[in-house]
Amino acid sequence: MKKLISIKVVLLSLILLNCTSDSDTIDVIEETELNIEEQQTEFDRSSMLSFWADSIIIPSINSFYIELNTLNAYATSFTSNPNSGNLNQLRDQWLKTYQKWQHVEMFDIGVAEEIYFKNRINIFPANVQLIENNISNLGFNLDDSYNFAAQGFAGLDYLLFGIAQDDDTIIAKFSNSSLNYDSYLAAIISKMIDLTISVKSDWEGGYRDSFIQSTDNTATSSINNMLNDFVFYFEKGYRANKFGIPAGVFSGGPLPDRIEAYNGEIYSKILALESTTVIENFFNGVSYNDSNITGLSIKNYLDFIENDVSEKLSERINNQLQAGRNKIDQLNTNFKIQIEENNHEMLLTYDAIQSTVILLKVDMLQKLNVSVDYADADGD
Amino acid sequence: MLKSYLTKSKVHPAPLAVFRIVFGLLMLVALIRFWTNGWIYSLYIEPDFHFKYYGFSWVKGLGNYTYLLYSSCIIAVVGIILGYRYRLSIILFFLLITYSELIDKTTYLNHYYFTSCIAFLLCFLPAAHYFSIDAIQKEKSIDAIPSWMVDGIKLFLCIVYFYAGLAKINSDWLLEAQPLSLWLTSKYDIPLIGEILKYRWVHYAASWSGMLYDVFIPFFLLYPKTRSIAFVFVILFHIMTKIFFPSIGMFPYIMIFGATIFLDVQWHKNQLEFLRKFAAKFSQKFNFLKLKLTKANVLFKPKQYILPLFISFFIIQIFLPFRYLAYPGELFWNEQGYRFSWRVMLMEKKGYTTFKIKDSINQKTFYVDNADFLTPFQERQMSFQPDFILEYAHYLANHFEKQGHQNIQVFADSFVALNGRPSERFIDPSTDLNQEIESFKHKKWVLPLKDEIHGL
Repeated sequence: MKKLISIKVVLLSLILLNCTSDSDTIDVIEETELNIEEQQTEFDRSSMLSFWADSIIIPSINSFYIELNTLNAYATSFTSNPNSGNLNQLRDQWLKTYQKWQHVEMFDIGVAEEIYFKNRINIFPANVQLIENNISNLGFNLDDSYNFAAQGFAGLDYLLFGIAQDDDTIIAKFSNSSLNYDSYLAAIISKMIDLTISVKSDWEGGYRDSFIQSTDNTATSSINNMLNDFVFYFEKGYRANKFGIPAGVFSGGPLPDRIEAYNGEIYSKILALESTTVIENFFNGVSYNDSNITGLSIKNYLDFIENDVSEKLSERINNQLQAGRNKIDQLNTNFKIQIEENNHEMLLTYDAIQSTVILLKVDMLQKLNVSVDYADADGD
Repeated sequence: MLKSYLTKSKVHPAPLAVFRIVFGLLMLVALIRFWTNGWIYSLYIEPDFHFKYYGFSWVKGLGNYTYLLYSSCIIAVVGIILGYRYRLSIILFFLLITYSELIDKTTYLNHYYFTSCIAFLLCFLPAAHYFSIDAIQKEKSIDAIPSWMVDGIKLFLCIVYFYAGLAKINSDWLLEAQPLSLWLTSKYDIPLIGEILKYRWVHYAASWSGMLYDVFIPFFLLYPKTRSIAFVFVILFHIMTKIFFPSIGMFPYIMIFGATIFLDVQWHKNQLEFLRKFAAKFSQKFNFLKLKLTKANVLFKPKQYILPLFISFFIIQIFLPFRYLAYPGELFWNEQGYRFSWRVMLMEKKGYTTFKIKDSINQKTFYVDNADFLTPFQERQMSFQPDFILEYAHYLANHFEKQGHQNIQVFADSFVALNGRPSERFIDPSTDLNQEIESFKHKKWVLPLKDEIHGL
């Protein structure tokens, strides 16, 4: 009889267990010193997250912010004194800032995600009609989501390269203050600065600490969010936006006007290569400020899980990333010309990049047992 | 001997009554959980397109009426628990829950199938002729039923366990400790035991004990002397699976509470007596149930057709999981004969499948963004299951033909990784899937796995 009662108690407690099992369990964070010998049996996820935050993400945002301020200063010089020298100085700085942006776009997490940071800084192509309407009517609100395509780098690209055929006319348009090009330029840059300040102060405030402590394998943990951001950026921001869409992979015909920095034309490849570097560096844990400094990375994480495998997945991923880079190297500096004259090469580049997508989304995520879609349903 | 067992052997109806109540309560919790998690909407209403079981394309999504279906299910379950209009309730429950499962095979889970099977069996069992509102109202109760009626449920549970165990006897599970190695390593965040889950020996220990548990637990549950200890193992085992794999949902509870059917008749009588005392506080009518606990020898006589029906059911259950032998190639890879076979938590498979549409008149080709047509859950399931890929390819062809494209060809660019192996091309990229027809025949356009998995 005693036995029978005990079974009843167990069954009852099971019911209670079921009621509470969905709530969060208490986190136990153990700070462990990392050394190389330990790496075979230990992987310090918190240390990887610290490296991402302190050596990659925060320095990238800071550097982007500094360049943005310089961009702002040069824009003021240009609008107060529109001439060819100031225009070129502004364009050079635009490119420099745009390159720094490539280091920031991937980290769609925290406040950046909440304020649609990447959608507001780098949606392309720009909606030219919308920009011209805003400029002639004023009274626009850049925070409205339909205005996302009328601002950011693509908006600047249009203002600095696309409002007229030749530089003289562009300068002339900016010289005439009643046309409002100067104030729209200032408004876009000022909005970019505001948004960047929000993201920057979020990281410098409490977010960094909560970020590095969230080491669990759950839908909302930092590691999983970052892996999702990385894979999503690679597939969408990099593969599709920079290569696939302009090459016509999804449309049945090439769309050369969909390249990044369309009006500047000659910068599309530089930006794509910069983005390639960002991806390689993040995967391999290369510090933003000093490429000789490395820290714990996805590569180390994969190697830790595959410690008894001879042909490492991380190596295959790096090789395939390199294969993609080699393809990009051979493309025309101007992707528009490349697509118009020999889209086949562009498609081959896309294919090389697509092979990496498979390694990341299928092989890597299986090894790390991380889900990218978080479909909310039971499994068995 | 068999004949005398089937015709003469009888048992007290208490275990069946307890099983009815327990099953009803589990279903009640499962249905409420399903609803409150928002899954009625996200699984059955939100998708524009549903993947159909072969031969069941006539089952249509019900839109917002799905809520009505689930409401009716819940009412039916209350009827089952109370034993009120039981026959109507259980038949209604069986039909409705099975219908909802047939709406979209994306949601297929072994324990949903298990639920339907149990509900089917319960349609024919006198689970509410005893200890039920029906019994009180008719003022008629029974105190013996043919043994095979309770043993049928036990046999079904044994089949589930035993086949789940047999399926684990393969080289990936036992020799590579896969997929548990992949899964457990990533469970580092479980308090206390998370630390050791990265060790290989833990993966092997878990794989082997999981297999041994599944194969042998039915016998230990059946054998009276080992029954109590076996039941303790049932509880421990399923709690462990719930801790490791929270996403398996209700399954552990269904198995634990379902296994109470193996316990002694006295245990069941005690539970019912406890319930009766509780219910009698609210209405004296429930004391009627007490009387029938002591009176003897009113034997329930089942209808003639039920026994042959059960025998047919079990013959199907025993042979269905082996249908994979009729197909060439690797079962885990091709998944021909994988479902409805108690292959539970058996493999880790991830895929990436995109579709190239070719308008062969004007030679235009383009790739489809799956997110335009499928929910993330559907896309994930589609990406590694050949029958999903084919059905979706036809859906796409149909869609783009309506848009004015002509002579559409559909090619799949598909890569799949199985149990930690490197990803391989899954579907022959030169096969126009629009020309392929779904059937029970072998799908030749699935490229063979470049490896062999040995075992059952």
